[in-house]
Amino acid sequence: MDWQSFSLSLQLALVTLALLLPLSIPAAYWLATTRRGIKPWVEGLIALPLVLPPTVIGFYLLIVLGRQSWLGQTYEQLFGQPLVFSFSGLVLASIIFNIPFAVQPIQRAFEAIPLEVREAGQCCGLGFWQRFLRIDLPLSWPGMLSAAVITFAHTLGEFGVVLMVGGNIPGETKTVAISIYDRTQAFDLDGANAMSLLLLAISLTTIVVSYGLVGRMMNARRPV
Amino acid sequence: MSLELELRNHGPDLDLCATLPAGRITALLGPSGCGKTSILRAIAGLLHPARATIRMHGEVWSDSDTRRFIPTRHRPIGFVPQQYGLFPHLTALGNVMMSLRQLPATQRPARAQAFLDQVHIGELADRYPRALSGGQRQRLALARAIAREPQLLLLDEPFSAVDRTTKRLLYVEIKRLHEQLGLTTVLVTHDLDEAAQLASHLCLIDRGRLLQAGPTREVLARPCCESAARLLDIPNIFEGRLDSTGVSGPHFLEWGPHRLKVDERFTAVGPVRWGIQPGNVLMVRDDKPWGDHLENPVACRIVEHVELGADLLVWLTPDGLPEEMLQMRLPARALQRHPLQPGKKMTVCLRRNDLLLFREDAPHAASRPG
Amino acid sequence: MPAVLRLILIALVVLAHGRTTANEAPVIAAAADLRFALERLAEDFQATTGNAVRVSFGSSGNFTTQIENGAPFEIFLSADENYVFRLADQGLTRDRGSLYAVGRIVVFAPHSSILTADEQLDHLGQSIAQGRLHRFAIANPEHAPYGRAARAALQTAGLWPQIQPMLVLGENAAQAAQFASSGSTDGGIIPLSLSKAPQLAALGTFATIPADWHSDEPLRQRMVLLRNAGTTAAAFYRFLQTSEARRTLADFGFVVPDEPMKE
Repeated sequence: MDWQSFSLSLQLALVTLALLLPLSIPAAYWLATTRRGIKPWVEGLIALPLVLPPTVIGFYLLIVLGRQSWLGQTYEQLFGQPLVFSFSGLVLASIIFNIPFAVQPIQRAFEAIPLEVREAGQCCGLGFWQRFLRIDLPLSWPGMLSAAVITFAHTLGEFGVVLMVGGNIPGETKTVAISIYDRTQAFDLDGANAMSLLLLAISLTTIVVSYGLVGRMMNARRPV
Repeated sequence: MSLELELRNHGPDLDLCATLPAGRITALLGPSGCGKTSILRAIAGLLHPARATIRMHGEVWSDSDTRRFIPTRHRPIGFVPQQYGLFPHLTALGNVMMSLRQLPATQRPARAQAFLDQVHIGELADRYPRALSGGQRQRLALARAIAREPQLLLLDEPFSAVDRTTKRLLYVEIKRLHEQLGLTTVLVTHDLDEAAQLASHLCLIDRGRLLQAGPTREVLARPCCESAARLLDIPNIFEGRLDSTGVSGPHFLEWGPHRLKVDERFTAVGPVRWGIQPGNVLMVRDDKPWGDHLENPVACRIVEHVELGADLLVWLTPDGLPEEMLQMRLPARALQRHPLQPGKKMTVCLRRNDLLLFREDAPHAASRPG
Repeated sequence: MPAVLRLILIALVVLAHGRTTANEAPVIAAAADLRFALERLAEDFQATTGNAVRVSFGSSGNFTTQIENGAPFEIFLSADENYVFRLADQGLTRDRGSLYAVGRIVVFAPHSSILTADEQLDHLGQSIAQGRLHRFAIANPEHAPYGRAARAALQTAGLWPQIQPMLVLGENAAQAAQFASSGSTDGGIIPLSLSKAPQLAALGTFATIPADWHSDEPLRQRMVLLRNAGTTAAAFYRFLQTSEARRTLADFGFVVPDEPMKE
């Protein structure tokens, strides 16, 4: 049982969440409330990681973040080690391929707030931030929880992109999915099985608990 | 001091200019989709028409020429949208407190409770909107709106989702509040009776245009054009011809073979559209002698009659005008005293004061509405 | 926030804490066929010197690309010396490395298979001709030296055109071994070093294919210190050239040169 890879995966998932959620909320709010013509294009871009195979994403990330790229070289100059095949590179890749999982549920949650309720906030004399903090956020909180859970579970299980961009470096980029793959190739099927079961249990529990919670919270916020 | 409006827009179409009296309840009446909600939203600042000039008590809220625009949250308005727009995650007290954010936090609960008491739902302060009935939600929305102590109260078809008994109670509530607070109120509705009961001022709206505005009684009694008449559900609209005997002689209205005396309103000459309220078509009784107070007798034949509650509707065909149908309204008990059989002759009298002259509709409303 | 949610969050944070200590152990990229041999050697090294190394196994071709893209490996043990030369030519290594072993391939037949493993691949040829062979595993010749060697051997045996549609390609030699032994294929051509390991030996029988059948792909396995290698890595590199290490390699089926051939 490779506990190190579990802990690595958990850290990856938590760091991704911590960085991605604060960026997703304003993006989702803009998408939910704007009427500009550019909206479908932005939505399409955001949805790309959903439809592209992880290897395509991984391939392009390798080019964009790799040593030959401007980004990769700048990072290496600043931090002394390459961006790819490092935990930081993984975090960056993880943020990118999780964007639709974080943005879409939050966007739906904002969209579910009836226009009348939003406008009522204005008619009560509330400014933008007051409305956001006291009306939009409380009503969309379940959607944010949903986004967090899905992003977390998805990151725990991500394989293709991590393999392309992270390599298989124990303690650095060897996440639990990679570790299971590795165990299989080492003919340690018991080890692979044990880790798979644990991963399954964690993911299932996370999703069931939060869907239960989310369901209850959404009931309390049904528009009247 | 009043609410002055000038709105022009395409999609939704708006083209009107009106002045609404201060301290009164004005109803915007019109069929669904005629733009009355858009007018209300424009007043609130939620809609941005291509051209808009809105002034309240002389203060400019919107002016396309000078590009001045006061955002909704700074306008002293109370707004009750059609589905009330209540905040589902807050209690009734919490909803009202949202309007009181300019007060210190300690004072808000007490003030909010006072407003809830004023609309008679004080005991429901801890309930959430989903646990309230339709009428209670309506009162809550009202309380939240007046909690801002606004200069203008805007109500968007507030009674459409409520049953009749509750409706009457709410009418009383609105009237009471209006007497207490004296707020200028704009009420959007498609219900003629509602407008007649609540509003002292009436604006008829059709496809974004103002057809007629004025004190309610006047507008209801004297619609000025055919579209207005249709909106007020007046079925008796006819084609006639105005003429005069000699250059300075009295005018008269030719309607088929009938010649009707008219009063001083009818000064033009030529073809004209005219009408009369069904309630103003008077029956001439066989037994009562023909007196001076009766004028413009028109001989007709009864086609059919229908009882509708306390009213009796009678359809008549005037002699000499076989395609026209004149509708008359009588109290239902009249049927007992005067049996009406289809085919029987009857003479009716159309007093000159009751005749309605319709001016030319504006060019883009030439076709019949809806 | 509900109590359950709080509890879960705390548990996650605690679990995630493990990574903070920066792992100083150097990372080694090793060809997949070295799986069991190198794990043993790493254990021996740690027992002797007290220093640990971290090993990643995979296909030599993939590792080469990753190293070219900046992967932070400190030693590269390739299954094909040409990959090492390629890296050396780009200045990514300290020197041109040293030959540590010559690999051999075997034909492997799992116990349940219709196939019998024989050196001359006669039974394989018969099974193909009789239409009884359905799936056969080798490593992907595109980037795995053992795959190329398998292909060369099959070409020498005159079986390559017929067997191509039945091939299952492993991403590296270890995955090919996995496919070959799992029972979902009829067998495969895999490294000798993997077949000799107890985990695999129990699953089937194998026969070593003559070395001159793949003389074009000699499986000259070369290792090299990469440019950023540290002291522990250098120590491990030296350790791999000791007679003790060479004996371990020989135990696992590698042909070990008597003297490490430096060029």
